[in-house]
Amino acid sequence: MPAGAPDSAMIRRLARPGPPEVCEIHYFVIILGAGRAAAGHDTAPQSRGPLRMDKTDGELILLWSVPGLLAIWGACFLLFPGFVQPMSPALTADEVAAFYRDPDNLARIRYSMILFNWFSVGLVPILALIAMHMRRMAHRTPILSYSFLGCVAGAPTLFLLANLFWLLAAYRPERDPALIQMFNDMAWVTFTSQVGFLVGQGVFLALAIYLDRQARPVFRPWVGHFNLAVAAALLPAAFVGLGLEYEALAWNGLLAFWVKNLAIAAWIAVMGLVLGQAIYTRRRAEAGLTA
Amino acid sequence: MSAITGAGSARPGGLLERIAWHWRHDPKLELWLALAAMVLFYNLYGIVFFLVANAQPPPDPAWELPRVQQWFNDNHYGLPIGFGIIFIVTFLTAACNALIAYSMRRMSVSPAFAYAYFIIYSFSAIPGMLLTCIALVVGAMRPDRDPELILWLYDLAFMAFDGTMGVFLVGTTIWMVAILLDKNRVFPKWFAYLNLCNAMTEVVVAPAWLFTDGVFAWDGAITWWIDMIVFVVYTGCFITLLRQMILREDFGSGPLPELPAAQAATS
Repeated sequence: MPAGAPDSAMIRRLARPGPPEVCEIHYFVIILGAGRAAAGHDTAPQSRGPLRMDKTDGELILLWSVPGLLAIWGACFLLFPGFVQPMSPALTADEVAAFYRDPDNLARIRYSMILFNWFSVGLVPILALIAMHMRRMAHRTPILSYSFLGCVAGAPTLFLLANLFWLLAAYRPERDPALIQMFNDMAWVTFTSQVGFLVGQGVFLALAIYLDRQARPVFRPWVGHFNLAVAAALLPAAFVGLGLEYEALAWNGLLAFWVKNLAIAAWIAVMGLVLGQAIYTRRRAEAGLTA
Repeated sequence: MSAITGAGSARPGGLLERIAWHWRHDPKLELWLALAAMVLFYNLYGIVFFLVANAQPPPDPAWELPRVQQWFNDNHYGLPIGFGIIFIVTFLTAACNALIAYSMRRMSVSPAFAYAYFIIYSFSAIPGMLLTCIALVVGAMRPDRDPELILWLYDLAFMAFDGTMGVFLVGTTIWMVAILLDKNRVFPKWFAYLNLCNAMTEVVVAPAWLFTDGVFAWDGAITWWIDMIVFVVYTGCFITLLRQMILREDFGSGPLPELPAAQAATS
């Protein structure tokens, strides 16, 4: 038996039948017992003392990644020279090449996009937490939480594609300007137009909230309305291909850049707060029950 | 629309009242909404690809450069408008995949089938459809772009569309095996073999990577026309069968009850 593992007699003692909460407590005791054994303590079951400590399911760690993530994304946004003053799609190929060849820009493009590459999937844990909350809603099927999870996988993958094209454009700035312009176009069109899965997240979450018909719903109805409003604000960006004809739809335009990106930022901030409230309320309620 | 009829008996008369009734009382609402998303997506997909963007049936891979440029110019507005709609409604595929995954959760097989299908199909839209649309929007944006680059975008678009094969091949096979193993009678067994037909289309499409002309090119009689006919029949069948599944659903875990003939006739 490996050092530190609880002995089989202890596991048998703990594995007696009982209600689910009791089984869960036993599980904690086994973990704690193993920890104590590893630290040189005895392997007997502990008193009930350590069991009253807060549940360490890690949800709070995931939740508190939101401010850190917002700070990193904000820093990347300010670091990338193409976002601070959004590039116009009307630039010629030579002007686009000059943007990438400018030594000040080049380093900032590369470093900001490497940072974005590292952290672009950083929101997924929060979205998974939201999906967990959808599973706690009074639904008959898992369809809405499955649908939400399907969208969660799509959005960062598409962002990574845009990120790849920006990094490729910056990789050999001495390349033919027409090629740099094409990579730049692919990056901006992918980044701007791929709002579908984000719209889906808002729509599926809103539907889930509206159909959560129980005395104490997981989220209040206004969260559903807010999600639909954010989804609506993202729609015009899908038509970025018309940007050379309609200024507001250009990738540096009012609707396709500012409205879209501010709506995403607002969604992260508001959903972070709402999710935090839901998690803390539930933990307080559970602590009250077990006290 | 068919997706919101079919459940309950004390429904009021008018369309809006019936929709409101289903919204408040229908226990199968989540399933009906997913089916409605599926019907809406495939309709919009057909209208946009065939009529708005004019990207299906696909243009010819054997065209000379000026003809390819001409094709992008002819669809200068159709491509960004049509694919703007597709970019938005892509999320409906998540509900389609969720409903199909649910059909496998309702079967007697391991949930692993549902999860495997759902994960494979969740990312299939990106190489198989969205990358195509992105490349065509970029191609249509600048008529003055170097023609060689326009051709590269043209190839990227249509080869991404036809050349994304494995996700559909394996995904469809997973659904087929689940149906063959299932003891809950969620789908008729003949539909499993139709899945096999759909999976085979992903095999015969592979030569599109080798030919720029003829029946195996991306616009060819085998690679496009026969495959599209199989796909349309297959899609029509699974939408109908999923509707039947929802009508029969009892939220239990045993065999799915058969649809009473009278209830089927009134729904």
